[in-house]
Amino acid sequence: MSAGTSMRVVEPLRALRLTYRVVLAQLVTRGRLAALVLVGAVVAAVAAAVGVSDEIDDPLEAAVRVIADLGFTALVPIVALVFATAALGDLRDDGTLVYLWLRPMDRWPVVAGAWAAAVTVGLPLTVIPLGVASVLVDGGGALVGATVLAGVVAVIAYSALFLLAGLLVRNAIVWGLAYVLVWEGIVAGYGNIPARMSVRGYTRSIITSRTGVDLDLGDLSLAPSVIVPLVAAAVALLLAARRLRSMDIA
Amino acid sequence: MTSPPMTSPPVTSPPVTSPMVSVTNVSKAFGDVVAVSDVTFSVGPGVTALLGPNGAGKSTLFRLMCGLTPPSQGTVHVFGVDARRNREVRGRIGLAPQQDALFDRLSARRFVELAAETHAIADPTEAAARALGFVDLDPAEAKPVGAYSKGMRQRVKLAAALVNDPDVLILDEPLTGLDPVQRNRMIRLFHDLGDAGKCLLVSSHVLDEVARLGSDVLVIAQGRLAAAGDYRALRSLMDDRPHRIRVVAEQPRALAAALLARSLVDGVSVATDQLVADTSDVDAFGRAIAPLARELGVRLREVQPLDDDLESVFRYLVERR
Amino acid sequence: MSDARILDRGYRAYEGSRSGVAGAVRSVAWHTVRSILGLGRKGRHKVFPVVVIVIGFVPAVAFLAIAILLGDFGDEVRPEYWEFFNFSVMAALVFTALVAPEAIVRDRRDGMYALYLSTPLTRPTYLLAKVIAVAGTLSIITAGPALLAFLGYTFQGLGPEGVVDGIWVGARVVLAGVAISVIYTAVSLGASSLTDRRAFASVAVILLMLGLSLATALMVDAAGMTESLRLLDPLGTPLEIPARLFGNRTVEYIDIGTLPVVLANLGWLLLGAGTLVYRYRRLAAV
Repeated sequence: MSAGTSMRVVEPLRALRLTYRVVLAQLVTRGRLAALVLVGAVVAAVAAAVGVSDEIDDPLEAAVRVIADLGFTALVPIVALVFATAALGDLRDDGTLVYLWLRPMDRWPVVAGAWAAAVTVGLPLTVIPLGVASVLVDGGGALVGATVLAGVVAVIAYSALFLLAGLLVRNAIVWGLAYVLVWEGIVAGYGNIPARMSVRGYTRSIITSRTGVDLDLGDLSLAPSVIVPLVAAAVALLLAARRLRSMDIA
Repeated sequence: MTSPPMTSPPVTSPPVTSPMVSVTNVSKAFGDVVAVSDVTFSVGPGVTALLGPNGAGKSTLFRLMCGLTPPSQGTVHVFGVDARRNREVRGRIGLAPQQDALFDRLSARRFVELAAETHAIADPTEAAARALGFVDLDPAEAKPVGAYSKGMRQRVKLAAALVNDPDVLILDEPLTGLDPVQRNRMIRLFHDLGDAGKCLLVSSHVLDEVARLGSDVLVIAQGRLAAAGDYRALRSLMDDRPHRIRVVAEQPRALAAALLARSLVDGVSVATDQLVADTSDVDAFGRAIAPLARELGVRLREVQPLDDDLESVFRYLVERR
Repeated sequence: MSDARILDRGYRAYEGSRSGVAGAVRSVAWHTVRSILGLGRKGRHKVFPVVVIVIGFVPAVAFLAIAILLGDFGDEVRPEYWEFFNFSVMAALVFTALVAPEAIVRDRRDGMYALYLSTPLTRPTYLLAKVIAVAGTLSIITAGPALLAFLGYTFQGLGPEGVVDGIWVGARVVLAGVAISVIYTAVSLGASSLTDRRAFASVAVILLMLGLSLATALMVDAAGMTESLRLLDPLGTPLEIPARLFGNRTVEYIDIGTLPVVLANLGWLLLGAGTLVYRYRRLAAV
């Protein structure tokens, strides 16, 4: 028998870096970037319109509404959805996941690397336009800080949840849209438990607690509304790693 | 949390006699569809061809061996462990999957380099260049593999499977899309690797391809292992089916009549200078033909078994069930 | 040899009757509906459409039940027919985002589109079949709840008096539902024609319809800009059609005349259909 029996394994951090690079290269396409930059620009434009308007009774409330309604109900979840479901879901669907799976690597660095790639693309596409919007909307320093904090928390949480969804179901984007629009948009308004199971509830709580403007679902204090989504993200990533270990690979 | 259990046995180089891949009582069902049914075999160094019609379960069997999908029943071991669970053994497997899927936006060199990096190869650039050389691709080509032709993509896949110098190479339909020259080259490469002690499992549904890959075959049909071993040996086991033998001789008509008269053949067809006989007892025929010709004063030019080939084995095993 | 012949290639020409272009359109439309709703496929393919449709009907059924329970005493709270169109906007939106991409994107990705064009179908007739399928399926959720209300009220004696009145009300309910479906169909097919991936087509439909809806609402409500901006909302503007047909106006569009509403809806219809046709004229059948 021949040689070649040396025990080569890829150290976790290296596996994470390799996955990160591959997934990032697959995620960033010109079409996706252009479309989502455009959407971010629309958000900023609406914010600017509100910012210069002099027909408003309560400028801060109007500003918060723009950021919360446009930014955190549409822009952030959808950007995260596009990239996080694709991060491993695309690889699974087109049959290239095997090139990261049948390797002397652990599973969790693959999940973590893919998630990091999704966050890397998602953060600038959401936090920059929302940050700009929060300045243009003229809501004051507290709103800018709250927007950036909530944006970062939301991208982290949504990306982890949708990455898991991408490994669990085939048309994860459609399921994710249903979650964002139907669950967070409708069901969460009906009760405390569904509201606590919505990322939206926490991002709105962050904004409420920092600006003092009341928002639906936004009734938590700052610490839990930052910590709970981060914990949910960690749990989702652990589940994703487990799923990656137990799933069928094409 | 995802690292393999620390208690898993260390992979050691097994003694030469122990199989490199062993499949024991393996069944695999997808819902109601049974893709693989109670299959047992083991393979060692050298080239083994996995032969079967489309949809017979070849790819499923390969996926099971690589751990890409767990068996519904039975065990699949590579070097004594389950590739699904054991991180180390995955580094000793090279797989060229059937689906035509690559990271389309990378160049061939980057793609194969990535394969080397994810196998913890010390010098990925050098390893990638070497693997691309094996399959006759230019490492300097900057074009993304998404723009490659089918045959070139097939070779990129092969290069990626070879880059870690694997002990077990699993190649699912590796010759599809290749032109005849490349096909020859690849077959030669497979033989070289097999001679070097690697275990190669190569699937195909094209019979003459398999015949050139080597004589060791696993025939799979409808999810079951129909036969395993040297196909010439398999042929001789199939005694309930007439063998067909061509005899080139003068006066074939007289010879045919004598063969029939002595019940040495079940049937015979005669042309101007030859006859083709069907017999269920090749040995008796072989012993009798020369004395008989001498007796009749007929000169024999050639006696050749016509169906001692893979196709007849295949037909017998697969199509007659 | 000069007498070479091919005796039998095993090929048989089809001798039966042919249903022509109309038959082809019908067949493509029907198969599209089947694939959207997961008919003839395993249960898990039906889960999504069924769940969304059920969610779409829940508010209408709830209101209907309350109205019927209260009977004549419920006159105050009983929603009018046109109001039923507004109860399940989100479900209708999700359904639209599911339906349109499934109807046209898959064909382009898996090569069925080219295959269809090798039949009596041409680009316009192919698109016609798809429009029929999508608009028909969307009507389940756009017109369905209001139709249910119409039938429920009529059955309970709360509905229109007399046959003529009944037909007049029913016709307007159907017309409104079809109009909404057709406009949503045009907008969503137009957006779906921009990408080759179903998932991104869904996102494009949502971003366009929901994004513009949210943005225009904020411009009007938060920034205090002119209410006419709401006409740029492709999600809400079609829902104004039933209100106008029943001689009402929704709160949001209260200051906007009926002519601008009609023109805006026509504009969205043409924009969506135009994008769709433009994209398909440029599309090579590979």
